[in-house]
Amino acid sequence: MSEVASSAPGASASRARRLRTGIAAQIRAFVRTPVNVVLLIALPLVVVEGYGIAMDAFPQLPFVQAGRLAEMGRVNGAIYSVAFFAGVLGLFQVISARQADERLRICGYSRGELFASRLITVMLGTLVITGAALSVLAWRTPPEAPIVAFGALALAALVYGLIGMLVGAVLPRALEGSLVMVFLVDFDDFLSSGMLNLDSPILTLFPLHFPHKLFRSAVFEGSIALDNAAAGVTYVLVAGVVALSVYVRLTGNGGDLA
Amino acid sequence: MAGDADLGGERVLVASDLAKTYEPPWPDWMPMGRTVDVLDGADIEIDAGEIVGIVGENGAGKSTLMQILVGALSPDAGTVERSGQVGWCPQEPLLYDRLTVRETFRLFGTAYGMDHDAITEARDRYADRLGFEQFLDYRIDHLSGGNRQKINLSIALLHDPDVLLLDEPYTGFDWETYLEFWGLTEELTEQGTAIAIISHFVSERERFDRILELADGHLEDVTDAGPSDAASADPRGGSAPNGDADGGGVDV
Repeated sequence: MSEVASSAPGASASRARRLRTGIAAQIRAFVRTPVNVVLLIALPLVVVEGYGIAMDAFPQLPFVQAGRLAEMGRVNGAIYSVAFFAGVLGLFQVISARQADERLRICGYSRGELFASRLITVMLGTLVITGAALSVLAWRTPPEAPIVAFGALALAALVYGLIGMLVGAVLPRALEGSLVMVFLVDFDDFLSSGMLNLDSPILTLFPLHFPHKLFRSAVFEGSIALDNAAAGVTYVLVAGVVALSVYVRLTGNGGDLA
Repeated sequence: MAGDADLGGERVLVASDLAKTYEPPWPDWMPMGRTVDVLDGADIEIDAGEIVGIVGENGAGKSTLMQILVGALSPDAGTVERSGQVGWCPQEPLLYDRLTVRETFRLFGTAYGMDHDAITEARDRYADRLGFEQFLDYRIDHLSGGNRQKINLSIALLHDPDVLLLDEPYTGFDWETYLEFWGLTEELTEQGTAIAIISHFVSERERFDRILELADGHLEDVTDAGPSDAASADPRGGSAPNGDADGGGVDV
């Protein structure tokens, strides 16, 4: 028989090795998918600048500071690009190899290890897209507090990465899942953007509500909105618990949800 | 893929009174699916060193049975006890398309808990036996169907399992690989590995210790049923490669 790790002290080392190998495999699969690389490069550039140009063509809105429409557009574009990319990445991390993941589980990976390896891959992807989006934004609209702005964007990306994984577990189909992500991110980004003079407690339930506020204050005022940061982090933690629970419950069992 | 029971003696797999029904997650009156009864009181026992064929017509529930035996699917009723390491070769190669063959072995070997040297040694052994050494740096999605099936089988064998559950394992094999496959199974059973091979068609029945037929949700021993009892004895009508013309067959 082959050498098989089974001792208790070796178990955590074995778990760490499985996690490392799983993450490395996911990263390789990610970079070998050309559309991922194209999106990573093109999405921030097109969306950040595109939103800026589009907003600049708008008539002056009564509740938006004069001359800031293009900047507001770029800020919204930055949030949209990271949230959409992370959401789709999370979605495809869960659905693209669902059956192969089940075989890997039978071979020894736990569902928690599979979820963790997908989540860490999503997190790495969010860091890269966040850096790209912030760089494009900074080219025309330098943030007053760049580190806080990076954190806010990463928060927006991470929450949608988790939502993407959640949608992938519940709706494991590429087309339907992608449509849900497009609609959700678009709607959320628009309502959370602060461009509309909305005052409803329901808005605080939207995933981008707090990251958007945090990001705007970091870009325009250079301040850290601690209450928004705390609320955003709490939102991510709750989304993480929900995504993990649903993933463990719904993935596997041969796709039999009954 | 460790077993979860010490069955004692030579018995390595015992499944009792398995039942499985696929039900859509919405009410019956909605036109989006229907309830399908697949298994109803299926029993199977496999001993070490035994090779068992499981046959059944399309849709009889063979792959469902296999997934339950390996633990990929939960039965609605019944129990499965496994002893020792289990190897599973699913009907469709469930592999990661964008990984190379070498990376695939590393990933699954790590899942089994094997160290680097053990993975390399086992990978090279099966690459040599089944003839895919030249494809080790190819991505899975760049392989032909037959070569992909070789990787699929080798992943199931990688950790030298005590129980090997193979679902249509030789689909797409050329004749040489087909013969090599049977040579491999002989060696494994001599070493004490229990093997169950699922197929909609079992050719060369003399290679099997027992043949079980899955029909109406349960398994029946048809080992002694001669070709005259079977619907067809033409092995070329099944999934074995062409040229597999000797021996009786059970096609149900």
